[in-house]
Amino acid sequence: MQKQKPRKFSKTSQKKVLVLFFLVLAAFIFLFARIVWLIQNNETEYQKQVLSQRSYDSRTLPARRGDIVDSKGVKLATCEKVYNLVVDASVMTTKEGKYVEPTLTALDQCFPQLDTNEIRSFVKQNPGNQWHVVLKKLTFDEISEFKALQSENKEIKGIWFEEEFRRIYPGGSLAADVIGFTRTDNHGLYGLEEYYNKELNGVDGRTYGYLDDDLNLQKTVKPAVDGYTIHSTLDVNVQSIVEKYLKKFNEEHKDHYHQGNGAENLGCIVMEVNTGNILAMASYPTFDLNNTKDLSALLGSVQVEQVDKENGYFEIKKTGKYINQELLDEMTDEEILTNLNYLWKNYCITSSYEPGSTFKPFTVAAALETDSISPDSYYECLGSWQVGPHNIHCHNRYGDGVISLKSAVAQSCNVAMMKIATTMGAEKFSKFQQAFNFGLKTNIDLAGEARTADFLRSADEMDPSDLATYSFGQNFNVTMIQLATGFCSLINGGYYYEPHMVSKITNTSGVTVKSIEPRVLKQTISASTSALIREYCQAVVTEGTGKAARPAGYMIGGKTGTAQTYPRDGNDFVVSFIGFAPVDDPQILVYVVVDRVNEGKQDNVGYAREIVRNIFTEVLPYENIFMTEELSAKEQKELEDRKLENTLQYGKAMENPESTETPQETEQEKDPVWKSFPIDPATGYRKDPNTGELLDPDTGDPINSTMKVIDF
Amino acid sequence: MATENYERIKGKTEHHSDVSLWFALLFLLGFGLVMIYSASSYTAFSDYGDQMYYLKRQAVAVGLGLIAMLVVSRIPYHFWERFSVLGVLASAVLICLVKTPLGVESHGARRWIKTGIPGFNLQPAEVTKLAIILFLAVLICKMGSAIRTWKGLGIMIAPPFLLFLMIWKITNNMSSALIVMAIAAIMVFVASPDYKKFVLLAIFAIAAAIGLVLLIKYTDILGSFRAGRIRVWLDPESDPDDKGFQTLQALYAIGSGGIRGKGLGQSMQKLSFLPESQNDMIFSIICEELGLLGAASIMLMFTILIWRMMIIANNATDLFGGMLVSGVIAHIAVQAILNVAVVTNTIPNTGISLPFISYGGSSVIFLLIEMGLVFSVARGIEYRGN
Repeated sequence: MQKQKPRKFSKTSQKKVLVLFFLVLAAFIFLFARIVWLIQNNETEYQKQVLSQRSYDSRTLPARRGDIVDSKGVKLATCEKVYNLVVDASVMTTKEGKYVEPTLTALDQCFPQLDTNEIRSFVKQNPGNQWHVVLKKLTFDEISEFKALQSENKEIKGIWFEEEFRRIYPGGSLAADVIGFTRTDNHGLYGLEEYYNKELNGVDGRTYGYLDDDLNLQKTVKPAVDGYTIHSTLDVNVQSIVEKYLKKFNEEHKDHYHQGNGAENLGCIVMEVNTGNILAMASYPTFDLNNTKDLSALLGSVQVEQVDKENGYFEIKKTGKYINQELLDEMTDEEILTNLNYLWKNYCITSSYEPGSTFKPFTVAAALETDSISPDSYYECLGSWQVGPHNIHCHNRYGDGVISLKSAVAQSCNVAMMKIATTMGAEKFSKFQQAFNFGLKTNIDLAGEARTADFLRSADEMDPSDLATYSFGQNFNVTMIQLATGFCSLINGGYYYEPHMVSKITNTSGVTVKSIEPRVLKQTISASTSALIREYCQAVVTEGTGKAARPAGYMIGGKTGTAQTYPRDGNDFVVSFIGFAPVDDPQILVYVVVDRVNEGKQDNVGYAREIVRNIFTEVLPYENIFMTEELSAKEQKELEDRKLENTLQYGKAMENPESTETPQETEQEKDPVWKSFPIDPATGYRKDPNTGELLDPDTGDPINSTMKVIDF
Repeated sequence: MATENYERIKGKTEHHSDVSLWFALLFLLGFGLVMIYSASSYTAFSDYGDQMYYLKRQAVAVGLGLIAMLVVSRIPYHFWERFSVLGVLASAVLICLVKTPLGVESHGARRWIKTGIPGFNLQPAEVTKLAIILFLAVLICKMGSAIRTWKGLGIMIAPPFLLFLMIWKITNNMSSALIVMAIAAIMVFVASPDYKKFVLLAIFAIAAAIGLVLLIKYTDILGSFRAGRIRVWLDPESDPDDKGFQTLQALYAIGSGGIRGKGLGQSMQKLSFLPESQNDMIFSIICEELGLLGAASIMLMFTILIWRMMIIANNATDLFGGMLVSGVIAHIAVQAILNVAVVTNTIPNTGISLPFISYGGSSVIFLLIEMGLVFSVARGIEYRGN
C-alpha cells in the first residue's frame, strides 16, 4: 500500500501500551482510594471548615426611629433616608482598571466636594478593599444625578450607596431644648429624644442565613419594627409665639451693658392650668437641632468651665466672661464641649434659681389653708423687720404702711410675708412647700430634670431668718417647672397635675399604643383658698406690681418676682412674671424668667412682664378664649397691627369702638415716698433725710448699700 | 484480547466509528462545560457582570476544537510526517515569543502570546505537546533498531529535553515542561522493546524524588520557592493563608462534598474561596457538588477514553500511527492523573489542567486536534479492513 514497507507497531509495543493502560488504571484506582480516604477521614471537619468560611450575609436592617409630633400632628422630629457613598476598590480595579477613570470622572462631576485624586490613590493602594465610605448622609436628590450616569455608562463601576436614616428636625431650633437630639447611633440626648428613647427606637431587623438539616443555606429576613410616634402636647404655634418674643427680647437687649446676649438665660413655660399639659417650653440662648455643634450658637453666652473636685465630682462654674469669637478661638475642644453641653440643657427644668416674689402666693395660700391667718388680716409694714440678728428690708424701704392681705400680695410686701410665715411656723410652712413639690421632682417626662432637694431646708433645719426669707421666695432654689406646676394648683382649685409633654404614643399604623391622660397627683389647697389666691393675683395686675402685664381684651391674674442672685452685694437679678388667664376660670398659664438681663440695672420686673403680656396677647385668641374686657382704641390698633387672625371676633370692641380707655392709662401711678425726698445738691441724687443715704433716681434704693434683699 | 475485541466491532459496521470513544470524549467535553458554568458563574458575574463569561468562551473553544478535530481526522495522518521538525522548531520560536511584546501576562506568569483573535491567547506549551508527539513518532520510525541502544535513547530524549528546559526556564512553567518530558519518556518506553532500562530509570527517578523531599523536610539547604511548595505539600495547614490556601480549599471542597455531594450548582467553595475553581481546581468542585460518584464517573470516562485509544494504537496499520496514538494517550493520561493528584494533595501543588474539562482554550483545542489524529489513525485501520 505504501512505498516502503511500513514498520509495524510491534507486539512488544502493543504489550507496552497495555502495560501503560494498566498503570493508568492503577493510578486512577489509587487516586480514587485517596479521595475516599479524604472523605472518610475529614468529611465532618471539612464541612465545618467550609461553613465557617461562609459569611451568612448577616446584615442589620435599620429600624426607622419614630417621629415626634406636636398636638396638631406637625412633625417636630422625623427621619429621612440618606445615602453613604461607598467606594469598592475591588470592583473598580477589575479588568485592569479600565473602570477607574470613567468612575472617577463621574464622581467628580456629581460630587464636586470629593477629592478624586485621593480616591484614585486609595484605590491604587488598596485594590482589594471593598468598603471605603467617602461621603456620608447624601440625600436622594444629591445622588440621583450620579445614579442616572451610572445606568447610562457601563464603565462606572465600584460605587455603592448604603442606605441609612438620618434624624431631621423640620423646625430647626424650634423647641430645641424640649425635643433634644440624637447621636449618630440613634441614641437620644436631652429632652423627649432621651426620655422616650426606647419608644422612639424601633427594633432593628436582620437578614441572616442558617443551615437546615440537609446543610443547605437558608436565608431569612426578620423585618425591622419601626419606632413609635410620640405625640407631644406642645403646640407649634404657641411655641413659635413664645420663641419669637424671647428672640425679640434678646435682640432688644443684647450688647447693651456688656457684649453678649440680651440676658444670661431666658425661659418660658406655657401650660394648661387644668391638665398639666405643656403647650410651649422655650429658653434662650438656643441652638439648631440640625446642627447641634454649630459654635456660633455659643456666641454671646456666658462662658462656663468644668472644675474638677477631689471626690471625683465636677462642677460647672461660670467664668464671668461672655463668649465672643476671639474667646471661642482660644477655647480647647474640651472647653467648647463643656459649653455646648451647657447650651443643650433645658433651662426650664435643669436650672434652679431663687423664685422671689412669685412664691408669695404659695406662702399666703399655705397660711390661709392652715387657718394661720384670715383673709381679713391686716399687716403693718415699716420698710423692714427685725428677725433675730438680721434686719430684713422690704422692697419698699419706707414701708407700705398698714395693708390688707390682698394688698400685701398686690404690692408684694416682704414684711407682711415674713409676719405670715412666722405666724404659721416652720412646720406648717415646710409641709406646704413639700405639698407643692418644692424640693421634689415634678417627674415631667423630659430628660434632665434637676434635683432640688439640697436647695431647701426642712422644718427642723430652718432658723427664723430662713423661714422669714423663704416666705418671699429667697434663699432656696426652684426650677421653672416646679414653680409653674405648683402655681397651676394654686389657681385651679387646688389640683396638682403632673406636668407632662406627651399625650399619646402611636405605632406606625397610627394605632395608639399608650395614652397619657392628665393625672392629678394631689389636692394641695381647697377650692376656696384657690379662689382667694386668684383674687389676689388679679389685684397684682389691676392695682399692684403687675399692672402693665394685662393683655388687650382679657383679665389676667399674675405675680411678679425679682430675686437677687449670689453674691448679694452684686447687681445681678433674676426677674420673672407668672400670669394666668382668664382670671376667673384659668386656662392658660405663662411663666417667664429673665435671668440677668444685659442692662446696667437688672432689677426691673418689667422685662419679664412685657414678654408675658406679648405672649398672652397672641396665645389667648389662638386658644379660642373669649375676650372679656373692652378694648381701648389703642389696644384695638395694637391687635390690628399684630394681624392676629381670629382676635376680633371675640372682642365686643367692634360694636363699640369708642370704648373707654383702660385703667392702666387713666390711673396715674402714685409716687412712692422717696420721690418727695430732697435732692442732694452735691451728687444730684435724692437723699434720705433720716439715714443720709443717697438714693438711686430710678428705684429709690440706697446707693452703696451693702446688705440688701430686694423684692417686689 | 484487545486486538480481537476491536476487530469484532469493526466487522459489524461498514463506516466504523468508535462509539465508546466518541461517547467518552463528548461526555467529558459536555460535562466540562456544565462544570465550568457551575464553578465559574459566581466569579464570572462578580468580575465581568456575566454569569456565562467563562462558559461562552470555553464553548467557542470547544466548537473550534471539534471542527479542527473532524478536519484532522479526515486527513491521512502521514500527511503530518513532513511537519515534524518544523513543528518542534515552531514551538521553540513560540516559546521565545513569550518574552517579546507579543507575550501576555496573566496570573503573575508570562505564558501566553497574542493570536490576534480578541480574547484568545495561545499557550506555546500546548503547541509543544502536540509537536513533540509528532516529532517523536516520526523519529522513532526512522531510528529503527538503534532504538535499543543507550545512544539511541539519548538521541530521542535530547530534543524533548531541550524543549523541557525552554518551557521551564523561559515561560517559568515547570508543570508543562514535566508533561512534555513525561510524554517523551512514555513514547520512548512504548517504542523500546525492553523494560529493564525503564524500571531502573523509574526507580532512580522515584529515589531521587524521595531524596529531595527528605532533604527539604529535614534540612534548610533549598530555601527556594519550590522548596516551600514541598513543605506546604507535606503539611498544607502550616501556611493556610498563603501557599497552602489553594490546596487546603480544594481539600475542604472534596471532603465537604462527601459521598453524595452537595448537588450540582451547590458548591460553596466556588463562591470565591477556591481560586481557579473553573480551571486547575475544577475537579475539587466536581467532588464537592457530585461527590464520589462524580469523581468516579470522570475517572471512568478517562479510563474508557484511554482504553479505546489503546485498542486503536494496537491495531494501528503502522508504527507511526501507533506511536502517535501512544503519545496522545501519554498526554491525556499524564495530565488527568497529575491533576487529580494535585487536587487531592497527593503530589505538590503545580498548575496542571484536567484535559477536556478545565477552562482553557489552547488546551482544549490542541487536545481535540490530537484526538483528530487518533481518529485519523482509526480510519486507517478501517480502510485496510475494507
